[in-house]
Amino acid sequence: MEILTHLAGGFVHLFTPLNLLVLSVGLVLGMLVAVLPGLTLVMGVVLALPFTYKMGVAPALILLTAMYVSGTYGGAITAILFRIPGEPMDVPLIWDGYEMARKGDAALALGWSLVAALVGGLVSAVVMVLLAKPVAQVALAFSTPEFFAIVFFGLASVVTLSGTSLANALISLCLGLLIATVGVDEVYGADRFTFGQPFLQDGIEFLLVMVGAYGIGEVLTRMSTGFASQGGEAGAGTARFRTAFPGLSQVLGMKATFARGTATGIVVGIVPGAGATVSAFVAYGLESQYGKNRAALGTGAPEGIVAAKSAATASVGGALVPLLAMGIPGSGATAIILAAFLLHGIQPGPQVFVANTDLVYTVFATVFAGVIGMCILGYFAIRPLCKVLEAPEAIVSAFVVVFCFVGAFAARNNLSDLNVIAAFGVLGFLFERYGFPIAPLVLGTILGPLAETNFMTTMVSFDNDWTVFFTRPISGGILALAAVGLAWPLVKAALKRLRAARSAHAQPG
Amino acid sequence: MPRTLRLVLPHGLLLVATLLLYGAATGIQANTGAGRIGPDAWPKAIIVAMGLLCAWEIARRLAVRPRGGGAKTADASPEPPAMQVGKLAAGVGLVLSYVLTVPWLGFFVATAAFLAAFPWFGGLRRPLLTGALGIAGSLALVVVFMRVAYISLPLGEGPFRALSLALLAAIGVS
Repeated sequence: MEILTHLAGGFVHLFTPLNLLVLSVGLVLGMLVAVLPGLTLVMGVVLALPFTYKMGVAPALILLTAMYVSGTYGGAITAILFRIPGEPMDVPLIWDGYEMARKGDAALALGWSLVAALVGGLVSAVVMVLLAKPVAQVALAFSTPEFFAIVFFGLASVVTLSGTSLANALISLCLGLLIATVGVDEVYGADRFTFGQPFLQDGIEFLLVMVGAYGIGEVLTRMSTGFASQGGEAGAGTARFRTAFPGLSQVLGMKATFARGTATGIVVGIVPGAGATVSAFVAYGLESQYGKNRAALGTGAPEGIVAAKSAATASVGGALVPLLAMGIPGSGATAIILAAFLLHGIQPGPQVFVANTDLVYTVFATVFAGVIGMCILGYFAIRPLCKVLEAPEAIVSAFVVVFCFVGAFAARNNLSDLNVIAAFGVLGFLFERYGFPIAPLVLGTILGPLAETNFMTTMVSFDNDWTVFFTRPISGGILALAAVGLAWPLVKAALKRLRAARSAHAQPG
Repeated sequence: MPRTLRLVLPHGLLLVATLLLYGAATGIQANTGAGRIGPDAWPKAIIVAMGLLCAWEIARRLAVRPRGGGAKTADASPEPPAMQVGKLAAGVGLVLSYVLTVPWLGFFVATAAFLAAFPWFGGLRRPLLTGALGIAGSLALVVVFMRVAYISLPLGEGPFRALSLALLAAIGVS
């Protein structure tokens, strides 16, 4: 009952003219960045961040959350209609959505995608509201060793789920953690890695790392391989596009697929570091193994669309749980939302449910309203969204660079910051080029100070006894889980080698 | 560049960087009191971990490197797409030029030049379009950032400052 009262309060805060305007702008921008060539959802949310500096904290969070929600849908349209996944999470939609479109069922494919996003988004929003406060209450009992263990678990998850070489992901993470140590140390006031440069004494803002590595780095990567679109190709002939909804009996007939996809999205979303993309792929994989119609997957089966889309949208609610309850971002986009909280002087975590209850429930209300608004927008805005594809990637990229610089400069009005993001842009390009994932670098920079503070405080409080991290049951348990997560890719690779060796041995001759 | 060197170069450079950073970390000084962990402990732990990872990855790559000029590398990740060095150099050059000239040219002029030049070097060879886009785009961004979002952006120096101030006066920013 208390939750419902707070949630109603959240809707009251959301439904003021200014906040509704911000919500609408966020939904439109989220769709646009998901569709525009050369822009990803995370980049889009990063680029919107500077506009929130002068806003109040509530409108700022509404804008970014709305972008996050609707950004998970826009790319579905282009994936189904043009075989252009706006985001990596939309790749599974090509396998069945585009196949349906080729067979002349584009409108129905879009309808399935919209229903899946609506169901996945709303169910995950309910779970998020029910789960966040109890998780926060449990976290209230935590001390510094437990918080260090949770942050460590979050960092380890990012590394294990980053998809490339484990060593490269860990190196990227270490570099991020190291960048976070630059400047004057908070406990003793000692200069660290400032090399006599006054501007480094204030430290390197995670915003600069994030904007440089994601934004500028991505633009340089795309430019170095040649921009894919010169405009005008894909969006042509949009007049025929529309959405046709499946019947209620068809939807009910696929309830197991909806349930599997949504549950996968929520669970994977909660795991720190794993966002909509991992959710969509895992859900599609589960459907191809356990689905009733699994044999038809990949040939234009609506189950493939429902599994991937419901999971991608459901991951939004899941990812917001660790962010709000423990201050640990569950995905790239929630890392930016965390940045918005911090820029407004609010540290998400258990205390935020006590000190900023209205704000938390306004974010929850934004997810509910965002999911519904996203579906309405997705239904009516197909044609203009497809027209956006006509924008040449080179022009979009030029604007992305300018937005990155303005965002970096406006945070502190410091011209030195422009040099820093240019440097991180080049680093981001090199990382991309040589197979080092960027997400661990960025999350290391964001969570580094939190990890160090909790580590140092523990060491001081417990007389330098590092075993305390392992002997306390909760922190020990969480660290054990993190260790399993880190060891799993190695175990998997060893098992694969063993199986390959056995089968080679079994081959006659 | 020899194939083996190319294979281990990124991790080799990072390993050298960790050695230099460890040297810098030993210079971190603070009065911590007897037996207390100092401000150098955390960065040193990270640097050691990073160095060990780099060394391990170099050793792994050398151990499993292809023999006799085989096509596949030790790294399981797919080969990156072909790089157009000219375009990359132009991109990096334009980004650095923009950063270095903004304080002198001011936001409006530097952004107009950047928005016109970047698509051109990116392969959009339509000078009228990119030129018009530069001026109109920069003007639109000045209005959005300085009039709507109240963000203070560099005005430039000398005649460029005068131009920026005249532009701001024209759009109603005092």
